[in-house]
This record gives sequence, structure tokens and C-alpha cells, in this order.
Amino acid sequence: MNITWYIVLSSLLFATGVLGILLRRSPMVILLCLELMLNAGNLALVAFSRMVGNEQGQVFAVIVMVIAACEVVVGLGLIVAIFRRRLPLNVDDLRELRG
Amino acid sequence: MINVLLWAPLAFGLVGLFLPRRAAGPWAVLGTLVTLSVAVGMTIGFNQGDSGLQYVESTPWISGLGVDYSLGLDGLNLFLVLLTALLWTGGVAFAAFRDYERPKTFFLLMLVAETATLGSFLAQDLLLFVLFFDFMLVPFYFLFGAWGHDRTAEGGMTASGATLKMIIYTLIGSLLMLVAAIATAIISADGGHITFSIQALQEQGIGLGSQRWIFWFFAAAFLVKMPAFLLHGWMPDAYRAAPLPALAVFSGVLAKVGAYGFLRIVLPLFPEATVEFQEVVLVIALASILYGSVMAFTQTNVRLIAGYSSVAQLGFITAGIFALRADGSDGAVLQMVNHGLVVAPIFIIVAILLERTGTEDIREMGGMALRAPVLAALFLIVALATLAMPGSSNFIGEFYILNGLFQAKIVFAFIAISGVAMSAYYALRLYQGTMHNRKPEGLLSREIGWRDAVVLVPLVLCIVALAFYPQLILKRTNPSVEQTIAKVTKGSAPNGKLAER
Amino acid sequence: MSATAWAWLVLLFPLLGSIVIALGYRALPRKAAGMIGTAAIGLAFACGVAALIGLLGEDAEARHHASSLWDYASVAGLDIKLGIYLDQLSIFMVLVVTGVSTLIHLYSYGYMQSDEGYHRFFSYLNFFVFSMLLLVLAGNFVLLIVGWAFVGFASYALISFWYRRETATRAGLKAFVINVVGDIGLVLAAFLIFRELGSFDYGPVFAKAPEVFSVNEWSVTAICLLLLVGAFAKSAQLPLHTWLPDAMEGPTPVSSLIHAATMVTAGVYLIARTHVLFALAPTAADISAFIGLATLLVAATIALVMTDLKRAIAYSTMSQIGYMVVGVSIGAYGAGMFHLMTHAFFKALLFMAAGSIIAAMANEQNIDRMGGFAKAMRFTSVTMLCGGLALAAFPLTSGFFSKDEILAYAGARGGMYLIFVVLGYFGAFLTAIYTFRLIFRVLQGEPCAEARELIETGHVAHEAPKNPATGELEDTDVGFPGPEHHIAETSAPMRVAMGVLAFLALVGGLVQVPGVDNVISDFLDPAFTGPVLAHVHPSVEWDWIGLAIGGVISLAGIWVAHWLYVANPERPRALEARFQGVHDFLFRKWYFDEAIDFLVVRPALAIGRFANRVFERLVVDGLVTGTEETVRGTSGVIRAVQNGFVRSYALLLIAGFAGLALYFLLSSS
Repeated sequence: MNITWYIVLSSLLFATGVLGILLRRSPMVILLCLELMLNAGNLALVAFSRMVGNEQGQVFAVIVMVIAACEVVVGLGLIVAIFRRRLPLNVDDLRELRG
Repeated sequence: MINVLLWAPLAFGLVGLFLPRRAAGPWAVLGTLVTLSVAVGMTIGFNQGDSGLQYVESTPWISGLGVDYSLGLDGLNLFLVLLTALLWTGGVAFAAFRDYERPKTFFLLMLVAETATLGSFLAQDLLLFVLFFDFMLVPFYFLFGAWGHDRTAEGGMTASGATLKMIIYTLIGSLLMLVAAIATAIISADGGHITFSIQALQEQGIGLGSQRWIFWFFAAAFLVKMPAFLLHGWMPDAYRAAPLPALAVFSGVLAKVGAYGFLRIVLPLFPEATVEFQEVVLVIALASILYGSVMAFTQTNVRLIAGYSSVAQLGFITAGIFALRADGSDGAVLQMVNHGLVVAPIFIIVAILLERTGTEDIREMGGMALRAPVLAALFLIVALATLAMPGSSNFIGEFYILNGLFQAKIVFAFIAISGVAMSAYYALRLYQGTMHNRKPEGLLSREIGWRDAVVLVPLVLCIVALAFYPQLILKRTNPSVEQTIAKVTKGSAPNGKLAER
Repeated sequence: MSATAWAWLVLLFPLLGSIVIALGYRALPRKAAGMIGTAAIGLAFACGVAALIGLLGEDAEARHHASSLWDYASVAGLDIKLGIYLDQLSIFMVLVVTGVSTLIHLYSYGYMQSDEGYHRFFSYLNFFVFSMLLLVLAGNFVLLIVGWAFVGFASYALISFWYRRETATRAGLKAFVINVVGDIGLVLAAFLIFRELGSFDYGPVFAKAPEVFSVNEWSVTAICLLLLVGAFAKSAQLPLHTWLPDAMEGPTPVSSLIHAATMVTAGVYLIARTHVLFALAPTAADISAFIGLATLLVAATIALVMTDLKRAIAYSTMSQIGYMVVGVSIGAYGAGMFHLMTHAFFKALLFMAAGSIIAAMANEQNIDRMGGFAKAMRFTSVTMLCGGLALAAFPLTSGFFSKDEILAYAGARGGMYLIFVVLGYFGAFLTAIYTFRLIFRVLQGEPCAEARELIETGHVAHEAPKNPATGELEDTDVGFPGPEHHIAETSAPMRVAMGVLAFLALVGGLVQVPGVDNVISDFLDPAFTGPVLAHVHPSVEWDWIGLAIGGVISLAGIWVAHWLYVANPERPRALEARFQGVHDFLFRKWYFDEAIDFLVVRPALAIGRFANRVFERLVVDGLVTGTEETVRGTSGVIRAVQNGFVRSYALLLIAGFAGLALYFLLSSS
């Protein structure tokens, strides 16, 4: 089966995610874009698995979903903590950890 | 017996931690006296015709790497060990008669330093030597840094800053030396069993190509220690910061470990490289002599006069070693002892003067001899020995060194001997600046007290006694020195006039 | 006891004396210290006489012995023992040194009475005699160098004896450093000797030298030239002479002993001792003779205009040593040593008399302020006159016979050496003039204030003494005679010492009257048997002709001095005004001090300051701070990456990843 369109969709989603990370300032949005990138990856994995014919890609996609879930938990926790301390929810202003 | 010698100071220091504060000083003095008596006993029992190691102690330590815990005494280190024990006794006694903060820690550090220094002299295993060499620095780091003087008011550095500078300089050299030591063992093993024993490494030998860079790595470490010209940048600040008893032993003994390292390790293990780089090292030594003397001329801080004078003297010693003749190296070993014997009293006298005048600048001192004739007399003897006045043992040391240099490389001898004239000037200038001429207003001149006399007089008596009989040291060091020099000259084409007449 | 055993005792007594006085400085009363000091040297003299008797009991050829105590430093081919060498030359020096020293100790006993540093003085003085004896008796070059340096140290200690006087300490330092330069010359010569001859001991060295060296070979010439550096530094010959006038800062007995009779003659002794080497290097010997001649003349010209009494006598010493140097350099060893002996007598005496006068003048040393002491201080004047006559080589005095013998020898050698005869006599003429200039100025004429007070009251009262050069108040606490003064008239020991010397100055020459007796030469000559010059001897007739010429010149000089300074007192000032330039040149001592300051001292200090300020800061610290700056800079750049912007991190990540991906994509296609 021809998976070209799936790959195109996946890359478009990925590119959108990248642009979002680079251009948006809200941590929430960056997290969402991160999810977008991860899911784009998932899509590509599943498509390739269909092309190759075995189930390895799909298994990998499931693992990625697990990782994504863990990462979202940590990320949202951070955002909530930031919000609770009334710090600006703006990555450009949150830059104390530097050399 | 040699183990007792080595570990007694450390043991006394550790026990001293559990004693009351006021006992710390006397207990430490006791420890150094015990060490001194052991050293004297070993010297008396030393067999003087023997060129090999005596009182040997050798047990395998890290057998996987071929490192042994191996110690020994021979002509090269016998009197250096004795000097260490003697100077430490003097320095610790001097400190014990004064009040230092946290005395238990202070004396523990001094005694640890003594053990480490003795260890580097006694070690006959390359890695053990490197270990003790690096370890020597640790107690002095704390001594200089925590009990030292901040000189920021006079435009200098803080004590910890000066110490850090010293540590970094020395550590770079030590790092290079560690690399070189490991390389020596591995390259020399040549696929066989690795050993770090200096004796074994001498027999195995190393190829000239590796010898070249290994020579320079070892030389870097030793030249920083002395210090030699261009690598001496740490010296002025460290000497100004250090507390005087620690400085007395530091300047008296530690500088010699570098020179001793050349004789013990570099010459026997890397003979071809030694011959190849002889002139380069001689140039460095000459530069040290000239630069140190010239700097000592115009200095007004007594510590720095002594410090730069030490640079010059160690330059002489290095030149003596690198004349690659038995007489040059005999003179060098004798001079190591002489210089230590002279420089420690100088710093003790500086301390005494500091207490009386509150200053270390000779422009602000003067005329102290009036009410302190005994102090002046002792200082005069020390000053004359410093300038190697003929009649002192220092003169014989320099005579042997210069003779060796003269017979080997005549031009270098002519240049080096100008250092003698310059040392006469700066030594007398130091003496006159403090003892003679008018006393500035407000300065109180007091005779030396019995406490200080007890420390100073024995040292001066040693200087005088040696002046009558330098053969005492020369006789015992000569066999080992001849053996070491023979190793260097046998492989390479010998200089035509090296044959004994 | 054998002669060498007596010789060891000669060395022992002064050393013991020095140590005993030094250790007992609190316990011993003044008189005791003085007596111990004098007795020590007296005993040394006695032992010297005993050693002489021992030597005389042997054949002339066998009168040389070496004896050593223990190995001093004998390893690695060098064999240096603590050993002495006793022969005619060394015993001669021993007797001159101990004899004159005993008299000077006696003099000091009285002269230094009110000085606070009395014990220190005698301890140092004894130590000096010990060192000088060590130098003279040493049996190898290393011990010679040791004695040489000890003498230099004793000289330093005694010049800067009044150590609160800045002029004195500076003079001492100058003397010491120049002495060390001389030491270096000796040390280098020793190295060369060892290299060529394999030993430091006199016996082997002098025996092997003729076999190893051919005449005028560069190595033996180099050895001799280096020995000359040492000799000239010690004997204050050109150009290493600038320390001697400044050395007059020391107390007068010091000037008398060290800088007239003994230490400054060490160079002459050295040349005589190493005559074997100099015989093999005639070029070096000639150089030595010419420098001696030059010194002789230069010093005499300076003495003509010197107004400081002690310094004038010092320049006279320099000039007379020039004669001695000429003597031993041209091979007239006996004559040179003879002059050494007579010079010791009359020069020491002159200094002693000068000391008396200066004490009476409250340490004023300028002869322009003096005058008329002939009536005020009879004894001092008479003895001074004796010394002056001998110095001027007045007929039948000791100086007469000794000086002219050297010149007769030069005449006998002929050829080039006739220059020495001519210029030597010219120097003698100048000597007579300047000597009597001093004597007439000081003793004759209108009595100055101090002299008048002496005549009228019999003693002089003075206020607190001041340093004439700097004007500061002298520190009498540490030493320096206070307002009291000690002159020969009042002190018996001083009178005895000066009396003996005056007698010797007048009749001492009678032991060597040409054609009559030749005591000294006969005794010394066997020590100088060498292949080259032993047979050059002036005939007795030429000797007497030389003596006659010398006598005439001496009288002429005295007459000129009289004409200038007594008969027409305004003449000297007129001459001075007319030849102002010449006068200034001489007065500034031919600008030697300035030259040395410019050529040596200033550059050395400048290099020191340069090293301190520039080199240390820029180069040495520069290396370190340079490294530090580089490390800081690099780390600063790298730190900039960690700027806290999450988005920049993300960009870096993505860019890097894209780069990698592109790389793999491209490399796999």
C-alpha cells in the first residue's frame, strides 16, 4: 500500500510542531506542540510498519505513547507549579538557570 | 628503623590531636626530636664506603601495577634526610615557643609535612616518590593558606590566593611528572612485567625517543619546585604569605626535593636524554643564578631577598648536577645541605626582627646590632655562609660545583661565577640594612631571648662545624654520586677530560 | 719541636685570642681584653721566631716543609687538606706580620681606650692577624683562598667597625665586594691550575708546572692574569684600588695594620709565592710590573693634592705597593720583600702618628686646618718625621735602601726595564714631595687652634664629635671615641709602639746595605730558585750609584716641598689656580670612582630595577595572567551558550539534529 500521503501528513504535523516550539512563548502551547511532534512520529512509525509488513513499528508507537504520557505529566506538573507561584507563564522570562 | 624514621612524625601528630592545646607544641617538638635522633643514629651507622642502598625496606604494595613500598638510604639522600629532621626540629621548636591559633592542627600539619618530605627522600619506587612528592604540598596548602598573612594592604595577594597560585604551578608540573612516571614504567617494561622500582627501571632502560619527552616532563615538575627561572612566578607571593616557621622548612628542604629528584630519577633513568639536554638545563640554571641574584639586589622585603637568593642558589645546585661530573654533583649535594642549613636560620632571624621592629622592609630597619650583639653575631655567621665566603662549607660546595662546571663547560663557569660576586653584595646589604647604620625612630632593639637562642644557636653551630669539616658529608655522599654519574657518562661518548687524574 | 709545629702554634694563638675575647666580651674588663689580644699576637711572634730558628738549623735547600692536619674536602679527584707550607718566604711574612701587629695591638691598647666597642675591636683585630697568617702559611690554593677571604672579611668588619656611621658601612661594603671580585679571580685561577696540573697543593703544582707548561703558553698566562686580578684587588692596584681611600673610615690602628702593613701586601706575597708560574708567563709578569708602575705614579700624583691626611697616606701606601709589585714582577723577590718589610715599619708609624694628630683635632682630618703640631706634640712629631724620612727614602733610612734596591735590579735587567728605573725615580721624587708636604703642613707653621690649646694647657677639650663628611653626630654608644682623645704624648703603650717602629724605620735598612750585608736576600733567595731569573743581580757598584741617585732625588724632593710649603706658602695656591684642570683631575682621583660607578654599579642596579619592575611583572606574571585571561575568555564564550532561553536550546537541538540527519542522508546516497 502506498503510504506517501501518510508520510506527508506526518511531516506536516511535525513541521507544525517544530514551528510551534520555536515561535510560541507559552509553556502550555509548547507542550502541545511537543505532543504534536510525538504524534507525528507515531503516525510515521505506524505507516512504515504497514509498509514493511511487520508489527515492530506499531509496538514502538505504543512505547512512544507511554513516554509521551509520562512527559506530559511532568511538564504539566511544572506548569502548574509555575502558575501556583504566580511566575509569568512565558519561556522568555523564565531564564534563571543559565551560566 | 627506616619505617620509624618515616612515620614517627605523622604518628606524633595524630596522637597530639588528643592532647590538650598547650601540650601540642611541646609534644610536636618531642616528635621531631625523636625523628632527629633516629636520623642521627642512622647516619652514624651508615657504612661510608658503600655506594648502594642501606637500611632498605621493600615490600610489594600494589602488585598488579608493580608498585612496591620500598625505602632506602644512600649517599644521595642520607644528609638530606638528616637536614629535614634537623630543620623540622628547629622550625617546630620555634613555632612552639610562639602562639599560633588552632595549635593542634598547626602542628599536625607540620608533622604530616615532615613525613611526606622524608618519604620523597626515602622512596625508592617511582610511584611512591610521585605520591610523596605530591602529598608534600597538601599540608603546606593549609599552613600557608590558613595561618598565612594577607598582603592585600601592600598590593599583594591574600594568603589563600598566593597558596592557590603555588598549588596550581606545582600541580601542573606534578601532573606531567605522573604521566611521565607511568609512561616510564610501561615503556620500560616493553611488554613484560611492569615495575616502578627505580633500581629495576635503571637496569631495564628506555629508548631515547621516549626519554626525550619524559625527561622534560620530570624536569618541569622539579624545576617548578626549586623554583627555576621562568617557573618561579609563584615564589614571591607564596613567600610573602607564608607563616615563618613553615616558610623556614619549606625553603630549607622542599626546594631541594626537586634537585634531589634530578639526581635520583632523571640522571640514572634517562642518561642519554640528560646528556643531550645538558646544555639547555645549564642555561636555565645559569639564568636562575643571574636572575635570582639580580632580583635580590634591589629587593627591600627581607623574605624576598631570601627567596630570590634561594632561586640563585638552587640554580648553582642544578648547574652542579648538570655538569655531569662527580665533583659537580658532590658539590651540589653538599650545597643542598648547606643552603638548607643557612636559609632556615635566616627566616628565623626574620621572625625575630619582625617581632622587634614590626616590619619586614630593610629600609625601615637598621642599627639592631647595638643592643643585640649575640643576635648580630649569629646573623653575621649566617650571612657570611649565605654568600659562600671561603672558609664556610658553602664555599666548598660552590667550589666543587664551579670546578665541575669549569672542567666540563668552561664558558658556563665563567658566567656562573659572577653570581658569587652578586651574592656577596646582596647578603651583606641584607645584613647591613638590618643590623648596621642608624636605628630608625621608635624601633626597639632587644637581645635574642633564650627561647630563640635555643633554636638558632644549634643551627649556627652546625654551620660552623661543617665549615671546619665538609669532608664529613662529602665522604659519605661521594660513592653514590660517583655511581650515578657513571651511569650517565658510560653510555654516551664521554667528555675527554672526565678521567680522574 | 719541629718548625712546622711552631708554625701551627703561630696560627693557633691569634685564633684563640679572638675567640676568647669574643666569648668573654661581657665578663672581661677592658684592660684584660687588650692584654689578651696583644699577648696572643706576641706569643705568635715568639712562635714565629722559634720556627725561624728551627728553619735556620737546616740546610738552605731543605728549608721548605708541608704539614697538614686533616682532609678538608677530598673527593672526586680534588684533594684539599688543611695544610700549611713553611719556607723562607712564609716565615718572613709571618715575622713581619706578627711583629708589626704586636706593636699595633699595643698602640690600640691605648688609642681605643674610650671606645665602647673595645672588645669587639680586639677580637676582630686578632681574627685579622689569624687570617693573614693563614693566608701566608697556607699550603694549597684553596686554603690560600680561605685565608684571602677571611682577611677580606676582617677588613670589612674593621672598616665598618663604627657601624652606625653610614660612610663607614658603605666603605666596608665597597671594600668587601671588590675583595670578592679578587676572590673570584683566584678561584678561577685555582680551577685552571687544577685542570692543567691536577692538584691544589703548592709542592706538586710548582714542581709540575715547568714540565707541563711551555713559556708564555696561553693557559699559564691566563692563570697568572687571574692571580693578578686577585692580587690587585687585595693590594689596591689599578683599577681595583678604589676601596682603599674609603677604607680610611676605620679606626686608625686598622688603617695602620691592615691597610698599610699587612693586608695590602698580600698581593705582593701572592705574586712572590707563585713566582714559578710567573716565570713561565713573562708576559703576565710584565703586565703586572707595568700596572704596578702605573699605580705608583697615579697614586703619587693624587697624594700630591689630597687634603685628607689619612687618605693621603693611603695613596702613598698604594704607590709604595706599586714599587713592591714592580719588584716581585721583574724578579727582584728579595728586594720586593725587603721593601715590604721597611714599608710596614714606616707606614704603620705614619698612620699611628696621624692617628694621634687626628685625635687631637677631634677627628678633623683635613690638613688645611692643621698646623704647628711640632711644638704641641713633640713625641708624635718626632716619630712622624722618622716615618716621613724613611718614606721619602732619605739617605740611610730603611726606605732609602729598600726602594732603590728594586730600581737597581730593574736597571740590571736592562732593555725595556730601564723605563722602570726612570719612572721609578720620578715616583720617588714625587714621594719625597708629597711626604714632606704633609709633614710641613701638619707640623710646621702657625699652630692651629687645637695645637695652641695643647701648647698652652697640655690637653684639648672637645665637644661631641661629628662626622666630617656628613656632619651628623657620631654615635659614641656603639663605639667611636668620645670627646676624650688619646694621643701618644699621654699614653705609654702608644709611645712604646711608635718608638720601636721609629727606630726600625730609621735603621731597619741596615740589614741590606749593598756590598756590606745581604741578610734578607740571602735568606730568601733559596726559596726563589727558578730557571729564569736567579742570575740577574746588580753589581755592587751599580747598587751604590743607584743609591746615590736615590739619595739626591730624595733630598731634592724634600727641598722642593720646603720651597713650596714653608718658604713660599702662597705658591701652592697660585700653582693650583694656574693648573686648575689638572688639580681637579688629581683631586677627583683621576675619576676612577666615577668611572666604576658608571660602568659597573649603575648598570647592575639598573638591571636589578628592570628585572623587578618590568621583567617580573610583564614576562613572568604575564605568562600566568595571559594564560588566565585566555582561559577566562574561552570559558566566557562557551558560557554564552547557556543563556537560559528554552527556545534557543530548542533551536540548537533542532538545528543540530537536522544537520546530522542531512549528513547521514547525503553520505548514504
